[in-house]
Amino acid sequence: MYVYLYDQFLRQRQYAAVARAIEISLTDYGITGKILRLNNFIDVKPLIDDEVKRGAKTVVIVGNDKTFGAVLSRSATCPVTFGFLPIGPGNTIAGVLGIPVGGGAADVLSRRRKERLDIGWVNSRYFVSQLRVPPARVEVFYDDRFKASANDLLEVVVCNLQPFVWRRHGRVPKSEVVHPQDGKLEAFLRPLTKRRWFGYRYEEPSIFPFTEMMIRGREPFVVAADGKITKEREVTIKLARAQVEMIVGRDRKF
Amino acid sequence: MIFQKISAPHKTETAAPVWEPYEIRPDEVETVVGPSVNVEGDFASEGNIVVKGSVAGSVHTSKHLSVEVGARIMANVRAGSAKVAGEVRGNLRLKESLELTASARVVGDIEAKILVVEAGALIFGKVAMPGIEGIEVKGGKAKALPSRKAENAPPPAV
Repeated sequence: MYVYLYDQFLRQRQYAAVARAIEISLTDYGITGKILRLNNFIDVKPLIDDEVKRGAKTVVIVGNDKTFGAVLSRSATCPVTFGFLPIGPGNTIAGVLGIPVGGGAADVLSRRRKERLDIGWVNSRYFVSQLRVPPARVEVFYDDRFKASANDLLEVVVCNLQPFVWRRHGRVPKSEVVHPQDGKLEAFLRPLTKRRWFGYRYEEPSIFPFTEMMIRGREPFVVAADGKITKEREVTIKLARAQVEMIVGRDRKF
Repeated sequence: MIFQKISAPHKTETAAPVWEPYEIRPDEVETVVGPSVNVEGDFASEGNIVVKGSVAGSVHTSKHLSVEVGARIMANVRAGSAKVAGEVRGNLRLKESLELTASARVVGDIEAKILVVEAGALIFGKVAMPGIEGIEVKGGKAKALPSRKAENAPPPAV
C-alpha cells in the first residue's frame, strides 16, 4: 500500500496541472494510494507510524528538497520504503537519485528499484540533504585524529544527498556530487579571509570524508540542517550507515 | 622464409622499474586540504590527498599525495606515491615513486623505489632506495659488499 505526502505549496494553482498529470500516471501504473497533505503543524513521524500500523509499505514524498529533508529527518527510522516525486523549483536531490522532475517521476516509482542510503546524524536527530554552518570562528575535529582550522572565519557544509555548489571567483559555479553509499559523509570547509578594505572573500574549499566529526566554537554558532536552524556551541555529526531504503532511478549519480 | 616462426627475443637483463607521472583525475580526489586551512594531528586517508594549505603531525595514505606550490607539511609522510611542489619538513616514506618539482623543498630523509628530481628542487637529508641493500659505510666512504650469490659460488676452476 502506498501513502503520498503532499507538501503544502502544491495547493498553489500553478502546480495543479503537474500534480494531476502525476496522479493520472500513478492510476495507470496501479500504484495509487492515500494522499496526506502536510502543513507546518504536522509531525510526520507519528503520522507515518500510524500508516505503517494500517499496512503502508511505501511512503512517497511529493514536493521539493525542503519537503524531502523535512520528512526524512523525522521519519528515517520508520520501517518503510521511501519514494520521491519531485515537483516545482528547488529540486537538486532528485537529480542525484535519478528521478526526473514532474510527470516522468511516476515511471521511476513504478519500477521500484530500491537502494539503501546513508544519512547523517547530528546532535540526536537525522539530516538527509545538507548541514551548513555559516562562516564562524570554529574548529573541526575529525574522528578524534586530527583538527582542521582556519586563520579567520570558516564555513562548514556537510553533504549527504544534496550536492555542494560553490561559486568560483569570476568563473562558472562548480558542484561536487557526493556518494550516499560510500560509508562516509563529505565535509566541505571554506575559509573566509579578509581582503584589505574590500570585505571578505571565500577561498577554494577543502574536502574531508569522515564518519564522525565534531565542530566546536568559542562562541555559539548557527547550524542549519535540512532547513531547521539552531544555535550550538558544539555539534557532533555521525554517519548512519544504510539507514533509509529509497526507490531510485536508473540514472542516479552513485 | 615467409612461414618461419618468429621466436620471442630473449630477455638478457632484468627490466628497470618504469616511471610514469601520476595524473590525478578530478573524480579520484578524495581529500583536499585547501589554502588557508591548517590541519594538526594524525592526518590519514584511504584515498588520494591534495595539500594546498599546511599540515602538522603525520600524513598517511595508501594512494597518491600531491603537495601543491605554497603548501607546507611539517610531518612525517607515508604514502603510496607522491608529487611534491611545496615544502616538506619530515621524513618521506613512499612505496612507489616520489616526484620533486623545481619548487620543491624537502628537509628530511627520503625512502622511495623511484625518485624523480627536477632541476631546482632542494633536498636536505638521506636518500635510500630499495634495491641496493648491503652498503657498508666506513670512514664516510660507502663500499659495496659482495652479494650473497657471489659468496656462496664455488671457486673458479684453475
